[in-house]
Amino acid sequence: MTVAAPIGMKVRTRRKARGLTQKSLAQKVGISASYLNLIESDRRAVGGSLLQRIAEQLGLELADLSGDQERRLVERLGELAADPSILQHHIDPGTANALVSRHPDWAAAMLSLSRSVRDADQQITALTDRLDQDPALMEAVHQVLNNAAAVRSTMEILSSVEDLPAEQRARFVEIVMSQSGELSGTAERLVALFSAGNTRNRSLSPAEEVDDFLIQNQSYFPPLEDAARDLRREIRSFGQTIEGALTAFLAQRFDISVFNRSPVEADLSRFRNHCHYDEANRVLIFLDNAPPSTRQFQLARLACQLTAPDLIDTVARDDLLTSDEARTRARGALASWLAAAALFPYETFLEDAVRHRYDVELLRQRFSASVEQICQRLVSLRKPGAEGIPFGFLRADPSGHISKRFPIAGLPVPRSGNGCPLWPLYGAFQTPDRVIRQLAEFPNGSRYLFIGRTVRHEPALFHEAPFLHAVMLACDVVHADQTVYADGLDFAARHMATPVGPNCRLCSRGDCLHRGEDSILYSR
Amino acid sequence: MTKSGADGSVKRILIAEDEPNIVELLSFILERAGCATRAVTDGEAAIAEIRREAPDVLLLDLMLPKHDGYAVLKAVRGSSDNAGLPVVMLTAKGQERDRKVAESLGVNAFITKPFSNQDVVDQVLALAGAGAAAR
Repeated sequence: MTVAAPIGMKVRTRRKARGLTQKSLAQKVGISASYLNLIESDRRAVGGSLLQRIAEQLGLELADLSGDQERRLVERLGELAADPSILQHHIDPGTANALVSRHPDWAAAMLSLSRSVRDADQQITALTDRLDQDPALMEAVHQVLNNAAAVRSTMEILSSVEDLPAEQRARFVEIVMSQSGELSGTAERLVALFSAGNTRNRSLSPAEEVDDFLIQNQSYFPPLEDAARDLRREIRSFGQTIEGALTAFLAQRFDISVFNRSPVEADLSRFRNHCHYDEANRVLIFLDNAPPSTRQFQLARLACQLTAPDLIDTVARDDLLTSDEARTRARGALASWLAAAALFPYETFLEDAVRHRYDVELLRQRFSASVEQICQRLVSLRKPGAEGIPFGFLRADPSGHISKRFPIAGLPVPRSGNGCPLWPLYGAFQTPDRVIRQLAEFPNGSRYLFIGRTVRHEPALFHEAPFLHAVMLACDVVHADQTVYADGLDFAARHMATPVGPNCRLCSRGDCLHRGEDSILYSR
Repeated sequence: MTKSGADGSVKRILIAEDEPNIVELLSFILERAGCATRAVTDGEAAIAEIRREAPDVLLLDLMLPKHDGYAVLKAVRGSSDNAGLPVVMLTAKGQERDRKVAESLGVNAFITKPFSNQDVVDQVLALAGAGAAAR
């Protein structure tokens, strides 16, 4: 089911800018003027070939009328309505659609304002927490007050005691001088401590900014695809196997050696994803228990970082990334993206994905990749004219925290925190290693095929516990039959759908037995 | 400041404070008010000194090495001989929760730094007189 995105204002504004009446545009696209009026008032959803015709007549790309931007605004306004600081206004999140439709600039301005308020709140909280908990700050503040106490007490004595012996007076003057000097030094130290601690306290963390950046680009970066193709051609000449070719490539192009190390001998704190790159000694070290898919990927990632640093830098220069930390994270994510593009060539990967009906397990074996690498590559199949199924992707840890999110248009995924407990993203932890399929239906009627499973990270040493993540792919139910995961599921049977929500706070299902907290939607 | 104790006796004040300048200043103002002062610089020494010779008032800093002011206060209130010793807590940490903790432990007065000399003298002498009456 297509959920109406508030694009009506955009259509109307563009129509008027091109000097078209409702009647003339309606005629050109083959509908009645009254129906066009309903579209422009966001009282009718529009998609498919009609949307295509409207876009053509208005001189727009289809993507301009996809409603993605408007949907994201509506979702964020819905989250804003749940903010405890404005609950007393009893704002109905359902009216967000109308606000975005009629006054998109006001909607965007409100979100900017709320972001500034959250930034300020977080700044205050962070500073208060620092005063309470930062030992260095507490010590400095304590010292300032001691210095001030000594100065004040001495000055009171000097000004009120007239019969003070000269020697005593001199002594107290000395105290004032020394304590004043210490006070200045301590104050400077406090300023330095506050400045050092005043890192980002924005309402969006760098990780969230990178999420937004990837979503904005629909996880598809044409310049990186081109670079990946060139890199693949060059690497192929270095060896028969991918891992062998990459190792030889790194050795000959960059004088980098690749070693293995036992987890018993390694400083595990330096290792991430089973590997550590020692830049100073130009050595890439893998732990013995690094899976082949990880070795291959990390070799490719390093090769990409070294061959295309300027290109990655250019792509990462985006207004959505507002801090050095966010840009650094984005560069890391883009290096991973480029590595995936180099290892899993777009056309070949898409062809195999379609042929195997998006069976992640088969694709994983075909490309010697991990489940997560395959899922993220599936998300990136957005090349115009050669798209795969539009998938969303989520990853969560056992605490429920969603650590990665690539939403798709219309899929209501909360910006932060946990999702709905009924998603197979969480159910997967109850049946590790098994794929769980779910036909999920949201309160607004939209339906998705959810595919969840756990991903296991084997421990390095016997006494360590294995670590599980859960991952979940999501696609609109209209695409489900193109996947192997729809086999055996009857999408026509309404009772087959599991009633879910975005999360408890934003869900209107009052009769849900799995509700973990009150919703802001029906507690008014 | 030339007051003495209300009953004319010299009040003995124990100052538990690790900042030497503040010890010097407190001693000066209290002695000018007619008190006799002695000082210790950590919590362990404070507890030992009270046991050795109980003062009339304990002027106690919160941030002491070895045992902090709370620990000293708790030890005093838990002792059989000195449970009723008047205690003025003198500290740079003046937050509400610090006051509440000190009050729950039985502090008699709470003064935050930077302090007024007159406040310190008034509080100490008031407690010294009340303490003498109570004993």
